[in-house]
Amino acid sequence: MTKTRLPMNRRQFLTTSAAGISVIAAPHIARADAATLRITGWGGKWGQTMSNELIPAFEKEFKCKVETDSAFPYLPKLQASSRSAPVYDVLHTNSNEQWAALEMGIVEARIDAKQVPNIADVYPYAVSDKMVGVCIFTSAIGLGMRTDKGYGKVSSWKDLWDRAYDGVRGGYVIPVNSLGQAFLMMSGALFGKGMTDLDAAYAAMEKLKPIKLVDFTGTMEKMILSGEVGVAVIHDSGILRYDGQNQPTTFVAPSEGVLSLEQVLTLTPGTKVRELANAYVNYMLSPGVQKTLAESVWYSPANSKVKLDDKYNEKLLTTPEKVATLIQPDWKWYNARKEEIDSRVNRIFRA
Amino acid sequence: MSTVRTGITPMAWLIAPSALLFALFFFLPMGLMALISLLTGNPVVQPNVSFTTKYYQRILGDPYYFEVIWTTLRIGLLTTLAALLIGYPLAHWMARIRGRTAYAVLMMTVLTPMLTGIVVRTFAWMALLSDKGAINQTLTGLGLISKPLPLMYNEFSIVLGLTHIYVPYMVLTLVGVIARIDERLEHAAQNLGASPLRAFLEVTLPLSLPGILAGSLLVFALAISAYVTPILMGGFQIMTLPMLIYQQISSSFNVGFAAALGMVLLTISLVLVIAYNRILGLVSGQRDLQ
Amino acid sequence: MTAAPFTPRLGRFCYLALNVAVVVFLLAPIAIVFVFALNPTPYIQFPPVGVSLRWFEKFFASRDFMNALRLSLEVAVMTTIAATLFGGSAALALARGGLPGARVITAIMLSPLMLPAILTGLALFQSYVLLDVGRPLWGLVLGHTLVSVPYVVRTTLAVLQNFDTRLEEAARNLGADPLRTYFEVTLPLTKPGVMAGAVFAFIVSFDQFPVSLFLVSPGRETLPITLFNYLKFDLDGTIGAASVVSIVLAMLVVFGLDRTVGLRSYAKL
Repeated sequence: MTKTRLPMNRRQFLTTSAAGISVIAAPHIARADAATLRITGWGGKWGQTMSNELIPAFEKEFKCKVETDSAFPYLPKLQASSRSAPVYDVLHTNSNEQWAALEMGIVEARIDAKQVPNIADVYPYAVSDKMVGVCIFTSAIGLGMRTDKGYGKVSSWKDLWDRAYDGVRGGYVIPVNSLGQAFLMMSGALFGKGMTDLDAAYAAMEKLKPIKLVDFTGTMEKMILSGEVGVAVIHDSGILRYDGQNQPTTFVAPSEGVLSLEQVLTLTPGTKVRELANAYVNYMLSPGVQKTLAESVWYSPANSKVKLDDKYNEKLLTTPEKVATLIQPDWKWYNARKEEIDSRVNRIFRA
Repeated sequence: MSTVRTGITPMAWLIAPSALLFALFFFLPMGLMALISLLTGNPVVQPNVSFTTKYYQRILGDPYYFEVIWTTLRIGLLTTLAALLIGYPLAHWMARIRGRTAYAVLMMTVLTPMLTGIVVRTFAWMALLSDKGAINQTLTGLGLISKPLPLMYNEFSIVLGLTHIYVPYMVLTLVGVIARIDERLEHAAQNLGASPLRAFLEVTLPLSLPGILAGSLLVFALAISAYVTPILMGGFQIMTLPMLIYQQISSSFNVGFAAALGMVLLTISLVLVIAYNRILGLVSGQRDLQ
Repeated sequence: MTAAPFTPRLGRFCYLALNVAVVVFLLAPIAIVFVFALNPTPYIQFPPVGVSLRWFEKFFASRDFMNALRLSLEVAVMTTIAATLFGGSAALALARGGLPGARVITAIMLSPLMLPAILTGLALFQSYVLLDVGRPLWGLVLGHTLVSVPYVVRTTLAVLQNFDTRLEEAARNLGADPLRTYFEVTLPLTKPGVMAGAVFAFIVSFDQFPVSLFLVSPGRETLPITLFNYLKFDLDGTIGAASVVSIVLAMLVVFGLDRTVGLRSYAKL
């Protein structure tokens, strides 16, 4: 306390002191019951990058706590929780599940562009009408193969049906995996009238046997590495992420086109931390974060303003021209028929 | 056999804690599931739901589901049989062995598979049975085969995996029962001229029947409700009822149908328990001659 | 070796050979797990190329795995205590209580075994949503207890039903009141059955997957869940390392139980 007279009476002094103290104390109070943001996230390299670098940075910047659920499956948990108290604030999953979630009314269709300024910089596909919420990363679904087994040149999707690959062909359990579902639709386009020609697709699946089926891309990656599988449907990230390890594997973008495997974020309608959730979406779309994640797991960033290092730029989809080659499946159409499709493919692929 | 008591004793009150536990945390949730199987949606989170039997109609109307049920039962039976054939000799050895250390070692052998964890054990079988796994690599290396044997992703690998997991349960159930059979009965039979094998078949085996039934029921019940191992070992190409339930919950998001399938499974299991109790009653009746 | 007089040497040899084969069958996958826990390549490969402790390092360095291991142990201990109390008391009531319809009640007590645990887990999750309690730890323990109680009931009931009740009658004839009879005759003789059930409960909880699936929450996952999700992304020896550690820990528990109670005593009365 100084000895000079303050130009205010006692009441004013007390009021300003109180205001001053509360200003100083406010951050402490805020931190004491810091908001919690509940999100979902993959494990593996993505999970490591998130938990080691990106999440702590976000928590620091926004003075909050982030809880990531990495235990599959996410959607049933969200579905079973109440609409006003959802278990997640932000749902991160692939497009097919986001559309199913939208159908159930447990996620919001669009991201508020006013709250998420970075959304202005994304490629058109990331907010197209085939999209729920916003896509933050994408990968190209094509064919992955071994280079040391003396296989012939693979350049078309149809090469997968070559009898030479019987016994080393790899695919996905269609009912549970979006790559498998996208591939099914592609088969309709390859052998029939288009991506909605299910009869042609089913016939093509019959001809694809024998094939080793897995339910997740991570497993497929390992099967290719161990040689259990020689040619498989996989996204470019699944092959490229082993770059620098001298693995005898390569990714082929088939001539008929690559399908889009999208990492999509949506908000839940009942979220109590809407501002924080939007801040998180904005954060994930920011150039710095996009670059870090893209280079750690070889995903193609949705933000068109991101500049990746050369070796990533070469292989990933980072220009409007390259991005235009992505085929976005009509998940709304697929999900409406999922039950009958699942019944049918379960029957086709039974041992 | 215990003497027959008439009337409820004060001990009966001890059932209260468990009764409460079951009522609140088993029957209520299960009742909810049964209810959901007859509604169009989840009443807990959705406002407008109505009654429907469409899920049960779907199960009864499509032969695919009978196939799935039959596959589930078949795998259960094969697993139970295998577990019995493999587990009985070991249980017999353990029950009759002298020496505390020897017994402890065998107990460790039996418990260790149970302790490894279901995920890891299945991973181990993948490491053994897959085309690039231990068995195929060894056989190829020795020049005995040119193409890898298809040991994974079929019913064989599922039964193998499940048997491996449930043999310890069978052994632990049988050990107690066999140990309680008085060895002198076997000796008596042999003194009367029977060979050890005959003594076993006509004395020990019949007396261990309650244990066989108990162990078989346990293994069968566990085998028909297993899904982690069938998924990892069968690669979704063999579809069992629990796998279908899991698929419906996790990727079709059709809780109503999953609940209906679950009720079907529960019904089958309850029928089995009732049948088991009946048979045990008959068998125990015979045993009273002891 | 055994004391039973197997006179034909061939018969005895076959008996031993069969049992050794069974032991090999049971332990072969465990041996493989050990091998892969030490093999440095990050995918399934045979024959192994070397010996390395990198997966053990990765396991112990991983916060997720350590938390999961700790949680699994905590939950298993809590479940064992709860299951023993609930199951033991229920078995006692069923065997000595003279309850009407004891057989039906027994069947009901065993029913959690019969239903796919994934439905039990989902049903419990729905109930917790209804009660608006979120996904608490006690919810997880309760789910585990539910599927462990049947084992305790089974083993304890088996012991009680084969019990020579004349021992209890003798005690009462000598002047002991029911409570004293219970504590000094019944309980000590039932202990092996209860202990066996407790071991089952511990193992069932530690290894529980389907019930936990919906009841774990972020940062509070059990080891089987963490392993299963890990398996989706990485098929390397960390899983083997986790397993080796689990086995060693659990062996200590079992060994401890054998020293204190003597598992052998369960076999005979």
